[in-house]
Amino acid sequence: MKISFNINGAPQTVETDGNTPLLWIIRDVLDLKGTKFGCGKAACGACTIHVEGMQVRSCSYPAKLAEGKNITTIEGLSDGDNLHPVQQAWMEEIVPQCGYCQPGFMMATAALLEVNPNPTDEDIDNNIVNVCRCATYYRMRKAIHRAAEIKSANL
Amino acid sequence: MKQTNLFYLTIMLFIMAISIGFSSNFSSDNFSEKELEEKTENEVTDRAKSLEGFDKMMQVLTHKRCVNCHPAGDRPHQGEDSHVHNFNVQRGASNFGAPAFNCNTCHHEENNDIAGVPGAPEWSLAPREMAWEGLSRVEIARSMMDPEINGNRDLEHVVEHLTEHELVLWAWNPGVDNEGNPREKPPVSKEDYIAAVKQWAENGAVIPEK
Amino acid sequence: MSNSEKTEPKKKKKFSRRKFLLRSSIGLGVVMGATYLSRPIWRRALANFANTAEAPYQGATDDPKIWFEITADNQVTLLSPKIEMGQGTFTGLAQIAADELGVDISQMKVKHAPSASGNLDAFATGGSTSISSLWQPLRELAATMREMLLQEAAKQLGIESNSLSVVNGVVKGGGKSVSYGDIVKNVTEWKIPKTPKLKDVSEFKFIGKPIPRVDLKDKVLGTPIFGMDASMPDMLYGDVVRPSQIDSTFVSADTSAAEKMPGVIKIIKEKDFVGVVAKSITEARNAKKAIKAEWKVNKKWQNSDIEEIIKVGNGTAYTIQKEGKPNFEGEDTITSEYHSPIGAHAQIEPNGAVAHVADGKATIMISTQVVNITRSEIAKRLGFEAEDVNIIPTFMGGGFGRRLHTPNGIQAALMSKAVGKPVKCFFDRKEEFQNDTFRPPTHHVLKAKLNSNGMIESMEHNVSSGAVAFGSPMLPPGAEAIFGADIGAWRGGMINYSKIPNYRAISWKVQLPFATSWWRSLGLLANTFAIESFMDELAIKAGKDPVQFRLDQIGDDERGNRLKKSIEAARDKAGWKDGKLPNGRAMGFACSVDANTPCAHVVEVSVEGKDIKVHKVTCSIDPGVAVNPDQIKAQCEGSIIMGMSASMFEKMEVKDNQLTPTIYGPYQMALMRDAPKEIDVVILENAEQPGAVGEPPLGPIAAAIANAVFRLTGQRLRSMPLEIT
Repeated sequence: MKISFNINGAPQTVETDGNTPLLWIIRDVLDLKGTKFGCGKAACGACTIHVEGMQVRSCSYPAKLAEGKNITTIEGLSDGDNLHPVQQAWMEEIVPQCGYCQPGFMMATAALLEVNPNPTDEDIDNNIVNVCRCATYYRMRKAIHRAAEIKSANL
Repeated sequence: MKQTNLFYLTIMLFIMAISIGFSSNFSSDNFSEKELEEKTENEVTDRAKSLEGFDKMMQVLTHKRCVNCHPAGDRPHQGEDSHVHNFNVQRGASNFGAPAFNCNTCHHEENNDIAGVPGAPEWSLAPREMAWEGLSRVEIARSMMDPEINGNRDLEHVVEHLTEHELVLWAWNPGVDNEGNPREKPPVSKEDYIAAVKQWAENGAVIPEK
Repeated sequence: MSNSEKTEPKKKKKFSRRKFLLRSSIGLGVVMGATYLSRPIWRRALANFANTAEAPYQGATDDPKIWFEITADNQVTLLSPKIEMGQGTFTGLAQIAADELGVDISQMKVKHAPSASGNLDAFATGGSTSISSLWQPLRELAATMREMLLQEAAKQLGIESNSLSVVNGVVKGGGKSVSYGDIVKNVTEWKIPKTPKLKDVSEFKFIGKPIPRVDLKDKVLGTPIFGMDASMPDMLYGDVVRPSQIDSTFVSADTSAAEKMPGVIKIIKEKDFVGVVAKSITEARNAKKAIKAEWKVNKKWQNSDIEEIIKVGNGTAYTIQKEGKPNFEGEDTITSEYHSPIGAHAQIEPNGAVAHVADGKATIMISTQVVNITRSEIAKRLGFEAEDVNIIPTFMGGGFGRRLHTPNGIQAALMSKAVGKPVKCFFDRKEEFQNDTFRPPTHHVLKAKLNSNGMIESMEHNVSSGAVAFGSPMLPPGAEAIFGADIGAWRGGMINYSKIPNYRAISWKVQLPFATSWWRSLGLLANTFAIESFMDELAIKAGKDPVQFRLDQIGDDERGNRLKKSIEAARDKAGWKDGKLPNGRAMGFACSVDANTPCAHVVEVSVEGKDIKVHKVTCSIDPGVAVNPDQIKAQCEGSIIMGMSASMFEKMEVKDNQLTPTIYGPYQMALMRDAPKEIDVVILENAEQPGAVGEPPLGPIAAAIANAVFRLTGQRLRSMPLEIT
């Protein structure tokens, strides 16, 4: 079937089986490889994207549901060369180690800051539940608080 | 509602609350079935038939496919062993998860058999006051029929929820788990269940003592 | 560097290349004289050597040209034979090279060296050896490269090379200047000079500084740099049927249904696997599901079988350490047993590869920790010469030892060969969990006797474990016969308290019915859990402060003194107090020495119901020269939380022949909410060169937590994952 959606601000139409996870459309058809495959079971969060601004795990999101939606991936998080506050904070705190899970965490954090500009530690614990095997959680928490500061200072 | 009924209802709710608190079976030696029936204000046309429907209906409503999302606390349950949902999933203010990590982060309008993630329209938790976890059949039924608890539904709307709500009927199309194994369905077929709910309701929506 | 408490590195000891080569040959030469060496006393000497030797770099270090690419824009690319898997090696190597090359760190790029470049590490990226083993050779290579550029500049500028100087890759002298980028444009043939004198510590601009990771921006932008992101033109997708049961062998497969599935290009049947190649990953996965494979199952295994195998006393014993005459007669002998479970690597990037095999050549893009072994295994299976196989290593989405075995590279290559096009193939998550090379379960029996002063008179550590280092192509053939005991299994299993008059450590080797191997820090986590929990038990029995109890029994040799300094640093920074704290928390202490790097942790823990909450970890680490203090901290933070995850949550079990669970969640791991809110890292530099960093801080964490829990609850938790009953 034909599916049309906006991704990172640009319209796209793909021909695919509607049940194919959107993850594979993003990675293999549109060649946006920042969205990662980790488990394929919506368990690890490496494939986190935004659908209409909300965090969605694209490995368990059938492509057909994307019809007419606004999709954002890590490639569309920054505004051209201007990094998103979350990415700026990630740079400042030197968060990534292996880096594989980081796009998913940054997308989840960006979605959190949209609904909660100043999350508490508990808000972070309840909303950021991706898995990082290098266990960079300590710096991530600092970076999430820092991103909130940068974002509110930009307003 | 008559004055006496209100009196009995108050006492009954009080005792129910205590019995739930101690997880013991509600003992209604002092209350006749008639009074309970009056509470539902439904005309009993065939008590035996209604109870027959009740038995069948309750085999479904006490099944994990229903109870996992009617939890007693602030955490949904999942799986055949009804373990607390992994990944610190919370009820959230609107029974829909945390604000930025809600049910729709993973669950959508239909099952995803590639990912093994279940889905249905309006995927969410039953409100906390509609908790069924740990309740007996009778307690579940009373809770379900209590307008204070059930969102002010009358019998007709309760039946509608039980027989037409897609999220409820998902129990017969529960998809596969992360390993591709089918999730267990309730022990009664969907058609038999719908017929049983109607049989129970149409014959007076009788709730037995035990 | 300003934030960390560290001392300036001492003046370097002269470390000539000749001596370096000699040390290498000791490492590789242990195969000789197996019969003689396998006698117990020699085995103990070898074990001691394996415990303390610095692993040398095992690749070509005589030609700077295969290490550095200098481009016209005056940038230098270091081609690294070590793979970046998060440990920060690229950044440390860039700092080391920049200082000797005389360029700014912003002029440095680092890329993985493809095997075809000739810059090939014969060993592996692992064992926390990348920086330590390349510290000397890379400085020599970079200094030699600088000398080559100076000599060329002298020619081109017509000025004597000894009157030239270098700033940020620009050579100046006699009022003239020329950039490295311009120099290389005019060179037709390089001459490799004698290695010049290396820079003094005082001349370092980047070594020792908290330089941001060189891969930071790529990783923040989500740039495709991992094996999973690799692709080749006209690529197809493969998938392989993998066993879900342990101790089973492939017999046959009915592929008739799969052949008719949409998108399927070809079914590939090999002697040891069956695979499918399709147009998309989803079509390949769907077709694989339709393949009915038959496996020969030898025995129905349950977890209780594994627990029985692993018991101390059921395997073969090797004494790896012995001093005095340990004696455990009498009723005052204290005995405790400890357990650790099967652990999964659970790295987030699944194993995979993209392969193209055509015209007698093979190119494989793959996440691998063992480029050389991956290459030789693929070449052997294809019947190619190793030189006809080019391995292009990618960034790894976690390594942790999982990518020391890369049969997936062989499978991708065979599928590509069968269809004549590039094929990409990777594990799904269930296969990762069931076909992992697990951290083996362990069982420990400890015994001790205290003397009248409450000091340890005799002590013994028995560890029984499945294979870790043995069975790996990384060890030379015959190593097992010589060493006897698995050098990976007993890592961290020796007793560090050398003032005890009588002590020994015994490693019990058992055979498990599933693959076990390296898991970040090898045996260190479980062995330290057992020994350091037991030390805590003994201190309590002796009525002594557990930190002082340890300090009093550590020897006064160099190794012992470094450990004592680490212990004191953690103790003082944390404000160590024994017993319950007024805020309802308690502290716990443990320490270890791994690959010559001492580490000590003080944890602050509370218990709510049955939940253990770790609030703060103070960690001291002494890796010697701290090339990048920020990345050392990052490795400590990550090791601590990964170690907490393994200590408090993780467990694989065998159920009806299947390893389970098969997904994150049921395989419970530390999440954001489990991470301590405070991690305080103290870096000490009491050695003259950089040592191991990536694994040592994992050691003490389980024991430190268990020791704190005892102070809060009176419960001595002797099994990982730690569970309050």
